[in-house]
Amino acid sequence: MSMNVQPDLNFIKAMKEAGGDTLKQCYQCATCSVACPLSEDGNPFPRREMILAQWGMKDKLIADPNVFLCHQCGDCTEMCPRGAKPGDVLGAIRAYAYQHYGWPSGLAKLCTSAKNLPMLIGIPALTIFMLWIISGGMHIPSGEKFAHVGYTQFFGHWDWRLLAKNVLFIDLIMLTSVGIAVYSVYKGLSAMWTKMEESLGTTEAPYRPSIPTFIKDFLYPALKEILEHRRFKECTVNADRVRGHLPLLLSFVGLFIVTCYSLFTQDVIGIFIPSMHGPISMWNPVKLLANVSAIALLVGIGILWMNRAKMEAAGKATNTFYDWFLIWMIAGVGVTGLAAELLRLLGIPSLGYVVYYLHLVSVMMLFLYMPFTKFAHIVYRTFAMAFERYRDSAYVKNPLNQ
Amino acid sequence: MSDTAGNGAVLVVGGGISGLTAALEAAEVGKDVFLIDKNPYFGGRVAQLNQYFPKLCPPTCGLEINFKRIKDNRRIRTYSMTTVKSVSGGPGNFQVELETAPRYINSNCTACGACSEACSSEIDDPFNFGMRKIKAAYLPHEMAFPRRYVLDKQACSDESLSAVKGACKYDAVDLDMQPEVFTLNVSAIVWSTGWNPYDPEKLENLKFSSSSAIITNMMMERLAADNGPTAGKILRPGDDKEPESFAFVQCAGSRDENHMEHCSYICCMATFKQISYIRAQYPEAKIYVFYIDLRTPGKYESFRAKFMDDENIIFIKGKVADIVAENDGGVTVVAEDTLTAKKVNQKVDLCVLATGMQPAIGEQGKAYGLTLDGNGFVVSEPEKGMISAGCAKAAVDVYSSGQSSTAAALKAIQIGR
Repeated sequence: MSMNVQPDLNFIKAMKEAGGDTLKQCYQCATCSVACPLSEDGNPFPRREMILAQWGMKDKLIADPNVFLCHQCGDCTEMCPRGAKPGDVLGAIRAYAYQHYGWPSGLAKLCTSAKNLPMLIGIPALTIFMLWIISGGMHIPSGEKFAHVGYTQFFGHWDWRLLAKNVLFIDLIMLTSVGIAVYSVYKGLSAMWTKMEESLGTTEAPYRPSIPTFIKDFLYPALKEILEHRRFKECTVNADRVRGHLPLLLSFVGLFIVTCYSLFTQDVIGIFIPSMHGPISMWNPVKLLANVSAIALLVGIGILWMNRAKMEAAGKATNTFYDWFLIWMIAGVGVTGLAAELLRLLGIPSLGYVVYYLHLVSVMMLFLYMPFTKFAHIVYRTFAMAFERYRDSAYVKNPLNQ
Repeated sequence: MSDTAGNGAVLVVGGGISGLTAALEAAEVGKDVFLIDKNPYFGGRVAQLNQYFPKLCPPTCGLEINFKRIKDNRRIRTYSMTTVKSVSGGPGNFQVELETAPRYINSNCTACGACSEACSSEIDDPFNFGMRKIKAAYLPHEMAFPRRYVLDKQACSDESLSAVKGACKYDAVDLDMQPEVFTLNVSAIVWSTGWNPYDPEKLENLKFSSSSAIITNMMMERLAADNGPTAGKILRPGDDKEPESFAFVQCAGSRDENHMEHCSYICCMATFKQISYIRAQYPEAKIYVFYIDLRTPGKYESFRAKFMDDENIIFIKGKVADIVAENDGGVTVVAEDTLTAKKVNQKVDLCVLATGMQPAIGEQGKAYGLTLDGNGFVVSEPEKGMISAGCAKAAVDVYSSGQSSTAAALKAIQIGR
């Protein structure tokens, strides 16, 4: 069998920049495929991905579910006889894939390099600052008022009860960011799914699952597995990561519930009962969940931060912007969020407002850059895990043909 | 020749096939040669082989003639159980301090074997990699040169020691023997310190000690050798089962920066050679060879071709990265076949790790003033009077060792003429 290999030099360059510079060391012994606890007998990785990457065959790689199934635990890197760091190379391929699928491509490109950090921070910082000026809410409240309303009048206040001024501005910022991210992710996932289906080489499937069936049979089991961290726990050399990642993931779930609750009580119920506005009481169970989540988030990201630093110091992982940017963003959200709350409780409005502003900036960054940074794994890996199930299902493997 | 004043004398450190060759080549052109070995016998790793390349001779074949030449040559003085303590001076004028460990048996020994019979203490047979027990008073192996017994005093009980002493009719047992330190003056030193099989315990994922069905290729040589623990019958250690299937795990410790970065050169050929042993005893046995690349340089290519045609030998391109011990005494080896991109879980009765060559001299070499390369091999520096030969210099076969030893001798005799 002959194969026409058309190496893509830009891809190889991107690999090097994203921490996959050890790629060329690989001599295809396949130790990694056996070392990997997630690699299956009939579909092992990452050995195959290593040679595809060496050849610059990016089209095959971005359509390869294995690339996204990898949890980068480093078991393969630990045992690699050549120091080719397959774990890091797969991470670099994912970084490339997120950029490839990312829309708008300019924003995706911006997220690939530490050189663009001033821009990456500048965009949300300037947007929020401009809106703050436009809103006219640009005055620091008195201590007494601050204790009463907290940050809920950061962007000012008006008496129109159907939509609070502050909510309008927050929604303007965050819903736009989330909207861009959701649209980008939708586009990216559709493209990835199509490519993955094409890579199976099967002809047009006669039946496709309906959306409820898809969720029930493929997406929900994947989500359940993620929540249980079943695959993460298979890793051996880097078991510490579960201790960091699990509280972090649960804290995101917790904070999502809190956000939904707050949105509903303040912006829906609040229309009829104005007293629902303002900070939630410290004794409210939802507030308790928020605080517990905030601490879990900080503990989780702290463990991951130290773990990564330790691995890099030991030469077991490459220092990349791709990995650190997400750690910084999440740590930023956690630290500013909790600090803003503490400053509110301590009654220091001036500093509180500055920290709250930074909190808004970091939250906007997390939302807006989600599809292009390492954060994108929450959707791409989830769907790859769903695809893994789909691939083995009767929709693809027609049992009548077997 | 005198004991110490060696004008133009050569010291050869290590008496395996390389050291023997270098010593003889230098002596036969008229130089005084001192040949030392840390073992109680000469012949090194070749003595432990069943057959060796290029012509698959038994080791008796090549070693015996060399021993004969040494015995006949008055210019060679041999010291067994002797190691280098320190080196000073320079080319043409080295002072080398040597230490001979106590053998506890002196030159009166006639190798009658009475001491061994009388001895009640046992040790793991070092010559056979511990695959059998032998008496603590022993002849290292059948064709040992010098032909003299050794006593492992530490391993013996007091009553055993007195029985050994009492059994000897020739007053050859000397229990008070002390380490002997002496100094030699030589012009050049040939380092033919050879190699050790890489310690398989260090290959943690291959779980060497988890099953007696996992052996090294050097253990396989002993199993196949007539003078080995099974008298030449290839049986699984532990339960003596006749294996119906074999797996060869290539590059066990070689070409691996976590272990030894170099290619050990001989392991692929050793595997083909050992396949020939298996075929002679088990014509139908299934043999699985797991490899990264099969390296059979030069004329060895045709030897490989012969076995590649055997349909009961399956070659799998992929390194074994996990071995699981099974309840029936066998093991399952796990690898990815990179040509089919599927994992292989192959159950076999006996698994042979093709462990590579680790330079035997180790870090100690630096204390002698030697330059070691990145893999621990001795860099040959004739201008410093330090010349390396054989597997001390690079991982090579016997044939290439002969060449490099002759070359080393040629360099050595030119120093301090």
